[in-house]
Amino acid sequence: MRKLFRYMKPYAFLAFISPLMMIGEVVADLILPYIMSFIVNFGITGIDINDAQKGSPTAAAIMRFFHGNDYGNMDIIITFGILMLAVTLAGGFFGVFCAYTAATAAQSFGNDLRCHAYRKVMSLSIEQTDKFTTGSLVTRMTNDITMVMDFMEMLMRMFVRSPMFLIGGTIMLISLNLQFGVILICALPVLIAVLVIVLSKAMPLYAVVQKKLDKVNSVVQENIIGARVVKACVKEDYECGRFKRANTELRDVNYSVLKLMAVISPVLTVLQNLAVIAIIYIGGLNISIEKNGMDTGTIMAAVTYVVQVIMSVMMTTNMFQSISRAAASARRINEILDTEPVITGGAVCEGINKETAVEFKAAGFHYPGTVGRPVLSNINLKIKKGETFAIIGATGSGKTSLVSLIPRFYDTVQGEVYVDGVNVKEYNLEALRRKIGFVMQKSELFSDTIEGNIRWGRDNASEEEVKAAAKTAQANTFIEEFSEKYNTFIAEKGASLSGGQKQRMSIARALLRKPEILILDDSTSALDLATESKLRAAFKETLKDTTVIMIAQRIASVMEADRIAVLEGDGTILHCGTHQELMRESSTYRDIYDSQMKSGAYAGTMEGGL
Amino acid sequence: MENRKEQPKTVNANMPRLGPGGRPGGPPGGPMAARVNGEKPKNTKGTLTRILKYIGKNKIILISLLVLMVAITMIDVVGPMFQQKAIDTISFSGGKLKVDLKSMGFYLIIMGVIFVISSIMTFFQGVLSAKLSQATVYSMRNDLFQKISKLPIKYTDTHRHGDIMSRMTNDVENVSNAISQSITSLFSAALTLVGVFSMMMYYSVIMTVIALFTIPLTIFISSKLAKFMRKYFVRQQRLLGQINGQVEEMITSYKTVVAYGRENEAVEKFGDISEDLRKCSISARVWGSIMGPIMNFLGNLQYVVLASVGGFLVITGSGSMTVGKIQAMLQYSKNFSRPINMIASQYSSILTALAGAERIFEIMDSPDETDEGRAEIDIDNIQGSIEFKDIWFGYVEKEPVLKGLNLSVKSGEKIAIVGATGSGKTTIVNLLTRFYEVGGGTITIDGINITDIPKEQLRKMIAIVLQDTVLFGDTIRANIKYGSLDADDDKMRKAAKAAMADSFIERLPDGYDTMLTESGANLSQGQRQLLSIARAVLAEPKILILDEATSSVDTRTEMHIQQAMVNLMKGRTSLIIAHRLSTIRDADLIVVVKDGKIAESGNHEELIEKRGEYYKLYSKQFAGQTT
Repeated sequence: MRKLFRYMKPYAFLAFISPLMMIGEVVADLILPYIMSFIVNFGITGIDINDAQKGSPTAAAIMRFFHGNDYGNMDIIITFGILMLAVTLAGGFFGVFCAYTAATAAQSFGNDLRCHAYRKVMSLSIEQTDKFTTGSLVTRMTNDITMVMDFMEMLMRMFVRSPMFLIGGTIMLISLNLQFGVILICALPVLIAVLVIVLSKAMPLYAVVQKKLDKVNSVVQENIIGARVVKACVKEDYECGRFKRANTELRDVNYSVLKLMAVISPVLTVLQNLAVIAIIYIGGLNISIEKNGMDTGTIMAAVTYVVQVIMSVMMTTNMFQSISRAAASARRINEILDTEPVITGGAVCEGINKETAVEFKAAGFHYPGTVGRPVLSNINLKIKKGETFAIIGATGSGKTSLVSLIPRFYDTVQGEVYVDGVNVKEYNLEALRRKIGFVMQKSELFSDTIEGNIRWGRDNASEEEVKAAAKTAQANTFIEEFSEKYNTFIAEKGASLSGGQKQRMSIARALLRKPEILILDDSTSALDLATESKLRAAFKETLKDTTVIMIAQRIASVMEADRIAVLEGDGTILHCGTHQELMRESSTYRDIYDSQMKSGAYAGTMEGGL
Repeated sequence: MENRKEQPKTVNANMPRLGPGGRPGGPPGGPMAARVNGEKPKNTKGTLTRILKYIGKNKIILISLLVLMVAITMIDVVGPMFQQKAIDTISFSGGKLKVDLKSMGFYLIIMGVIFVISSIMTFFQGVLSAKLSQATVYSMRNDLFQKISKLPIKYTDTHRHGDIMSRMTNDVENVSNAISQSITSLFSAALTLVGVFSMMMYYSVIMTVIALFTIPLTIFISSKLAKFMRKYFVRQQRLLGQINGQVEEMITSYKTVVAYGRENEAVEKFGDISEDLRKCSISARVWGSIMGPIMNFLGNLQYVVLASVGGFLVITGSGSMTVGKIQAMLQYSKNFSRPINMIASQYSSILTALAGAERIFEIMDSPDETDEGRAEIDIDNIQGSIEFKDIWFGYVEKEPVLKGLNLSVKSGEKIAIVGATGSGKTTIVNLLTRFYEVGGGTITIDGINITDIPKEQLRKMIAIVLQDTVLFGDTIRANIKYGSLDADDDKMRKAAKAAMADSFIERLPDGYDTMLTESGANLSQGQRQLLSIARAVLAEPKILILDEATSSVDTRTEMHIQQAMVNLMKGRTSLIIAHRLSTIRDADLIVVVKDGKIAESGNHEELIEKRGEYYKLYSKQFAGQTT
C-alpha cells in the first residue's frame, strides 16, 4: 500500500486541502446545534439571553453586533435563522469543495496508476501474462485499481471526519465531567470487542462468498458458451442440478454472513442507550447530592456526545474493513508493477546476413514452469531469404512453439535463434517484430472496423494498399459483400464471421505489414481448397522476396514449398527437404502423405488429368 | 460489457452468420442488441408485481418482518419520550436544581427494557430480511438458470453472451440488494414519516402545512439533480465498461498485440479512455456530493421558517400556539427530513433493481424450445436411417439457406457433406439435432418425423463434435464422461484410445485427473478436438456428427481415429462435414451442397469421374503438384 502512495505525490496539494475542507464541514456541523438551541431557548422559549445561568454570552454578543441593544424575540429568531442558513451554506460549500479536491486527487491518482500498470502489462512477456491469466489481469486492472482509488478518496474525506468526531466527542465529554469519561471507557471496549469478533468471523466468509459467486458465474458461463454441447448431450437436468448446488452454497454462505452482520446493529443500539441511561442517571445522582457543575444542559450535551462517539467508532471500524480490502488490492496491483519483463530487447536494429533469414542452432524449448519431456530439442535449421519453408508434424509435436521462438514470444531454453544473422536476443524487440508478419492459428480480431483490423499491420498504409492486401488474402470478395464494406464493424472478436473469413482477414493484416518474414501458423485450415489454392497463387505472385514460414496439416498446402521440415513426435527434426526428397527419406512424411493421398484412383486421375 | 452496447455498426448479415460457437446464428444485434440503456424500467407496475410475487413465496417470513418493522419504528418514535421524561425529573426551583431520583430510575429502567426489546427485534429483523432476500434471489436465480437451459439455441446465438451473463449476475445482485436494504429502509422511512406527520398534525395543522412546503421543493430539486447526475453516472459506467473491454481484448489477444508491436497504441488508447473516465468520475462525484448539502439546506430552511412562523404566532398570540408546541414541532421537523432523504437515496437503487428485474423477466418470458414430440421411441432399436425431404430453411426471413434440400442416408452409412463456406452444411446438422426448426419439409429418422420424437430421446441418439470445442473447467475424466456419466473408467480409456487422446493424456503429470484451465488453455487446439471426439465416442450414439471435428488434428492421427471409428460405427450412421480430402475420401456417400441444395452425390471415385462440382472443389488442391 505504501508503495502506491508515491502516485499520490503530484496531487499532494489537493490531498492536503481536502481534509482541511472536511474540517470546515465538520465545524459547521458542530456549530449548527448551538444555533438551533439559541433559536429555541432565546427566541421561542424566551429565556433572557443575558441570564448569568442560562444565557449565552456568545449569542448575546452576536445579537449586539447586529442589532445593538434593542431587539425583540422575533429578531433573535430571524437573525439566528439567517445565520443558521449561512452556516449550512458554508458547510455545504466546504463539503462540495472537499469532494471536489478529494475526487480530483483520487481520480487523477487512479488514472496515473491505471495507465502505469497498463503500460507495465503491455510490456510483459507472453509467459508472464500466461502466468497471471487473462481474468486475473483484467480484475487487477479494473476492480483492484478502483478499490484502491476509492479508498484514497475515502481516506481524504471520511478518515478525517470520523476520528474528528471520535476524538472531539471524547474530549468534550470528559471536559463536561470526568465520570462521563468512565462510561465511555466501559462502553467502548465492549463495542470494539463485539466488532472485532463479528468482523474477524465475517471477513473470511466474504472471501468464501466471492468464491461461491465465482462458481455460480462460471457454471452460467459454461452453459451459455457450451449451450450446444449441453443440449446435444441432453444434460440440461444435470446442469440445473449443478447450478442448484452452487446456488444453494452461495445462498447459505451469504445468509450466514448477513446473519453475523445482523448482530452489530442491535449491539450498537443497546450500548448506545445503556450509555445514555448511565449518563442521565449519573447526572441525576450528581444533582441529588448537589454537586456543582451539573445541570440539564450538561446532561443533554453529554447524551449528544456519547451517541456521536459510539457512532464514530462504528464508522472507524468500517474504515478498517476497507483498509484491509484496499491493502489486498494494492498487493495485487504491486505484483503487476513489480514484475519485470523476462524478455527484453537489445540494441540491434538491422541484420547482417543477407543470405539466411532465420536460423535455429541447437534450439531446445519447454514452456516455463512445466516438467517432463521438452517440447522441442536440438533443432537446427537454416531458412534462406525468399524461401518458402513449410513445417509439418503430428498434433502436439511443437510446431507452434517452434515459430513462436522467432519473434521471441518465448525464449529458447537451449541453443539460439538468429534472424538475418543476428541472435534474436540482441535485437531491439520492436525492430525484430517489425520484420515479421505473424498469422496465428486462432485468428484474433479486435473491436474495430474491418479496415481498422487490417491496418493493425501498418497504420500509415494507403487505402489502396489495404485493399490490395485484402485482395491477395482472398478477403476482398466477402468484404465487398457487406453493406458497409471495409467500414463493417467487427464485434465480439469476430464472432459473426466464419472461421475462414477470420483467417483471411488475419492474413491480410500480416500482408499489409510487408514483412520480411511471413509466418503462417496453420492459418488456412478453415479455407476450402479452392480458396486456399487461389491464396497460394496470389502469394507466389506478390511475395517473391518474402521469406514464408508456414505450418500446415495438408500435404497439398506444403508440397509446393521450397523445403519442408518434418517435426517428429518427440520435438526433433530428422528430415528437411523438398517434397520429393522427403518422400524418399522420411518415413513420417510418407505416412502423412499416405494418410492423405492413399487413394490410388484419385492420384492417378490427377496425374492423368492435369 | 457496457461498451458493446455502444457499437454503432454490426456486421450486416446477408448470408447466414456463424454465431459465437462457429455455428450459424441469426445476425448479431437482433432485437436485444439495442438493449435498454441504463436503469430506467419500462413497465414498473408489472415488474413490481412479479418481484412481490417472488417475495411473497415466503409469506411467513415477510409477515413477521413487517410486524417487526412496525414495532421497531414505534419504539423508535416512543423511546425518546421516556428519555425526555427522565430528564424532566430534574427541576429548577428556588434557585436550586432538584431531582426525583426514584421516578428518574423508573423511566430509565423502562427505557432500558424498551431498547433491549428493540435490539432483539432489530436482530431478528436483520436475520429475517437476510433470509427473505437470499431465499428470493435464490429461487429467482434457479428459475432463471432453468429457463436459460430451456431456451432454444437461437437465443444464445443471437444474444450477446456477456449480456445474458450480466443479467444472471449484476441484475440479480441488484434485485437482491434492493430487497435486503431498500425495502426495509423504505418501509421504515414511510412508517416514520406517517408517525411524525400525525404527531405534527396533532400539535398544529397550520404549522404542519407550512412545514410541508419543502416536500415538493425537495422532490423537484432532487429529481432534477438526479436526472442531471445520471448523465455522468451512465457515462462513467460506460467508460468503465470500455476500459474493461479494452483490457480484456488486448490481454486475450496479447500475442497478436506483441507480434504487431501495437503495445504503444494500446497504451495510448487506454490512456485516452482512462483520462475521459477520470474527468467524468470527478464530475459525477462532485455533482453527487451536492445532493447532501442541498437536502441539508432545505431541511434547515424548514426549521428556520417553522421557528419564525411559530415565534410570530406566539408573540402575536394568535392561534393556540404555545412554546412547548413549537419546541415539539421543531423537534419533529428535524425527524421529518431524515426519512425523506432516505427515500431519495434509495430511489435510484430501486430504479436500478426494477430495471434489472425487468431484464431478468425478459429472459423468463421468452418462449421455451419447442418440444412437443410424444412418440415412444426405443433408442436401442433405432437403425439410424435419416431422410431430409424438401427442406427449406433460413436464419433470417426471406434469406433461405436451404432451398428444397433432399437427402437420404441409409442406416450404418458414412456420409460426408462438402461445399463452400456458407453453403449450409452446418445448417443441416442444426436442423437434424433440432437446434433450429425447419422452415418447410420434414426430417425423419427411421421413418419417424423428428418433430414427433421427444428432444431428449432425439439428442440421446446423436453425438456431435464441433470445430470449436467446448470443454468444461473440470478434470479430463469428467470432460470425457460428460455425455455418459455412468460409464466406467475402462470404457472411458477405450474411448480416449479410439480418439487417439490416450497417449497425450497419459503424458500429462496428472493424467486423466488433469484439471483443464479456462477454455482448456493448457492443451493445443488439436488435443482439445481429440478430447471432444473421445466424449462423443464414449456416448455410443446411433448417429455421429463430426462438424470439422478434426480440422486441427494432423492427418496421420486423424487416419488412426478413422480406423477406430470404422469398428465403432459399425451399424451406426455418421455424418461428416469437412474441407480436408483425407477426412471425407472414404465416405460411403459424399454429397456436395451448393445453393441450398444437393448439387451432386456419390462416392469419391464416381464424383471424380463425373468432373462436376466435387472435381472442381478438389482438383485445385493439386493444381501445383503436377506442374
